[in-house]
Amino acid sequence: MIKTQNLSKNYGDLTAVGNLNLTIEQGDIFGFIGPNGAGKTTTMRILVTLLEPTHGTAFINGLDVRKHGKKVRRLVGYMPDFMGVYDDLKVFEYLEFFAAAFSIERRKRKGIVEGVLELTDLQSKQSATVDSLSRGMQQRLGLARVLIHDPKVLILDEPASGLDPRARIEIRELLRELKRMGKTIMISSHILSELEEICDHIGIIEHGRMVFSGTLADIRPHLGIQSKVRVKVTANQDKAVELLSALPPIREVEVVDDYISVTFHEGKEGDGLIARSLVEAKFDLVSLQPEQLKLDDAFLQLTKGMVH
Amino acid sequence: MITAVSSLWKVLNPVRLTGPLFDKELRVSSRKKRNYVLRFVYIGLLTAFVAIAWRSIVAGQVSTTFQKSRMALAGKTIVTTIVAFQFAATQVIAVIMLSTSISDEIYNKTLGLLMTTPINSFQIVMGKLSSKLLQLVLLLAISLPLLAIVRVFGGVPWAYVLSSLCITLTAVIFAGTLSLFYSINNRRAYVVIIKTSVTIGFFLILLPMIFGIAQMAPMTFVGARTPQMPSLPVFWAALSHVSPFFAMTYNSAMLMSPALPAGVMGFYWPLHCAIMLGLSVLLMTVCASVVRKVALRQATGHIEGGPKHMRRRRTGGHALETVQGQGTGGVIRRVSGWPVLWKDMRAPLIRGAEGRNSIIGLFITVFVMLITYGAWAKEGFLDEDFTHVSYTVLFVLMAMIFHIVLSAGSITSEKESRAWPILLATSMPDWRILLGKAVAVFRRCLIVWLLAAGHVVLFVLIGYIHPIAIVHLFMVVVWVAVFLTSAGLYFSARFRRTTWAVIATFGLAFVLWVVAPTLGGLIATVTQKEKIISTCMFANPVVQTGVIMSGASGRRNAETGLSELRYNSFGEHHDVGSITTVLAAAMLIYVFFGLLFARRAKCLFRRNVF
Repeated sequence: MIKTQNLSKNYGDLTAVGNLNLTIEQGDIFGFIGPNGAGKTTTMRILVTLLEPTHGTAFINGLDVRKHGKKVRRLVGYMPDFMGVYDDLKVFEYLEFFAAAFSIERRKRKGIVEGVLELTDLQSKQSATVDSLSRGMQQRLGLARVLIHDPKVLILDEPASGLDPRARIEIRELLRELKRMGKTIMISSHILSELEEICDHIGIIEHGRMVFSGTLADIRPHLGIQSKVRVKVTANQDKAVELLSALPPIREVEVVDDYISVTFHEGKEGDGLIARSLVEAKFDLVSLQPEQLKLDDAFLQLTKGMVH
Repeated sequence: MITAVSSLWKVLNPVRLTGPLFDKELRVSSRKKRNYVLRFVYIGLLTAFVAIAWRSIVAGQVSTTFQKSRMALAGKTIVTTIVAFQFAATQVIAVIMLSTSISDEIYNKTLGLLMTTPINSFQIVMGKLSSKLLQLVLLLAISLPLLAIVRVFGGVPWAYVLSSLCITLTAVIFAGTLSLFYSINNRRAYVVIIKTSVTIGFFLILLPMIFGIAQMAPMTFVGARTPQMPSLPVFWAALSHVSPFFAMTYNSAMLMSPALPAGVMGFYWPLHCAIMLGLSVLLMTVCASVVRKVALRQATGHIEGGPKHMRRRRTGGHALETVQGQGTGGVIRRVSGWPVLWKDMRAPLIRGAEGRNSIIGLFITVFVMLITYGAWAKEGFLDEDFTHVSYTVLFVLMAMIFHIVLSAGSITSEKESRAWPILLATSMPDWRILLGKAVAVFRRCLIVWLLAAGHVVLFVLIGYIHPIAIVHLFMVVVWVAVFLTSAGLYFSARFRRTTWAVIATFGLAFVLWVVAPTLGGLIATVTQKEKIISTCMFANPVVQTGVIMSGASGRRNAETGLSELRYNSFGEHHDVGSITTVLAAAMLIYVFFGLLFARRAKCLFRRNVF
């Protein structure tokens, strides 16, 4: 649905985006991560035809963003990292204005606006002026705006920035609902743990270049990180460590706080073996839990925090 | 003793009055190229005006003795030219420079931040005002060496130079303070500029004129009909003391016409300056008080965006709800027609409930017009050509200002509110956005054109204006509207800030219609080709209006047959046919360049988006 080929954007000597290759499949939620100044927003602006790339091409649904700007804009809903507010417009008027801007027929607009207001839970605010809404509501209104013309692709630049935990959860739920509706979503954020929970794929960009693209599961081998599990037993923790250390697929066993951290050799897994061995040796096994590689950790390992 | 002096210095230290804001503003302004450009342009224009004044007095005279005998007159003319230029230019610059001084702080959310420091609101006001005024004082100081040199020619007393500078400076301080005052409650620079201009125009020019017209016989500056200035009523002298425009006019008239007995009006310039300074200080105090309220609300989180919220709070219960994001009242208006046009038309020219303020403003304008009609009629001037020249020129000038300010702010205001990228991300074609903006500008300026049309049609029906004037004025209206709207939209697309877009559009108008004729006049004087000056002058819409109305208005002209009408344009005489041809040619040329500007504006839409 979204594809870039050697996409580059230069500002004089500064390369904001350099030879970026990216593919996002239809119906995916793609998390776009990178430190400040890495080139996320520039890439998104190119995709929504607000910036011209210096080199390379970008396609939305097979349409070149350079050549088919108007058609691409119909396909894409773009939510920038700031809220563009029109003074004096009420929520309903604001949405209807954009519906009209997308050439939606007047007789259909009311129903469409009411629909997106319901989806974003803003019905009660339809008569409030846009600039009087709280930050969380403004973000929801921003999402309502990008949905107004029913785009296939949503490009959301840090939609959860500056929101309180409740508002973040609401936005996350809304994104899940949009995914269920079949939208392809490209989302950037600094709140990495949030993307971890909703994204199918992630892309980590630094210094204008993609340093990783794939699923969360792909990151582990990419970084050469072995599988880990956390084991908790009621008693005789030292004996359990001895037992586990002797098992063939296990490379390292260490006690961390009140649990045992078990690291497998690369490419090996053995959760069942650990459980079977402990139960057979009459240990009271309390829990056996795979240790997740957090997106924050991957982010830190993949990037050096370099900014332009 | 030392301690006392030290304490006194601490109190009177200008840094204490202005706080660190003054220093910060100066640092920022010193990094901006445009300030240097401004000074360069100012000096260039000043030089051009001085040159034209010099050439007009002494050029073309063969005899050296005769030239020397004219030196004193040349000195007076040059000095009054410099003074008049400074007086007008510095006030305009002050109003524009201070038009976003406080609103920028509010919307950048730095005003509340300032209140968390020991800086007080008076220091904020003084810091903003004094930093800009310092730049204006620099502009005034630029001309001092020239004024000193010209004094060598004789005929210009130091008292005149001093009084003129003081009148100019106090007028600039007042205009700047007024602009700053309006910038507290208005986000848009153009609104501040319009409100400041209207306030100054109404209280300092129009009101004294209305009183003057109504109460006294025509003065020398109204027309050349009365060679001797009559004794003036006391209130007129009083009004002159509070109006810098009349103070400057009188001050310069005293220099140029020694026949006028000094003090005939009881005019005393130090008193005028003291009054203007007093008014400015009063306004500054009000500004400080309002700024403090706004800043405290922002600092305590009661308002986020600015004074609009503050106004809602003042209105009571429902309004308070709106501030907190709970309010859901009000009428929802459905979008109809072109969305851009709908949105731009929805924003009122002057804020107020359901356009109430606009209607009140319209009624006041019509009422004032009727009063002036009555005053002119009482004096027997309503059927004279100069009366209708004055009215139509005034309307055209007003409409020009409206077109410049509204068009120059139409795109930059969207950029400032960060709504421009999301509008461009819609599937709306760029040409439709452009056309929507242009039509919205014209629709919002329509009120001024309608007032002008009302005046002309009324007096055509009465028989004081020839009907052909309607056709000719329509041509002027067409090109002024197309050219200025397109130029304003171009600069609005080109710049990010409304203030600079407005300045650039005003600058273009100024260069085309003031600088070019001035330089044309200079060249014409040197080359002895009068055609150049008449061509340059006729490019000016105000001149075109003046020529049209002086040829076709007044009872005598209105009763003349169409073929016998004669138009005088700087020594060139035209009949109806030739003036129509010239006006049509001018209209086509300006419309052509206007369309070029519009096309260029469209090309710039997707540059400087952020």
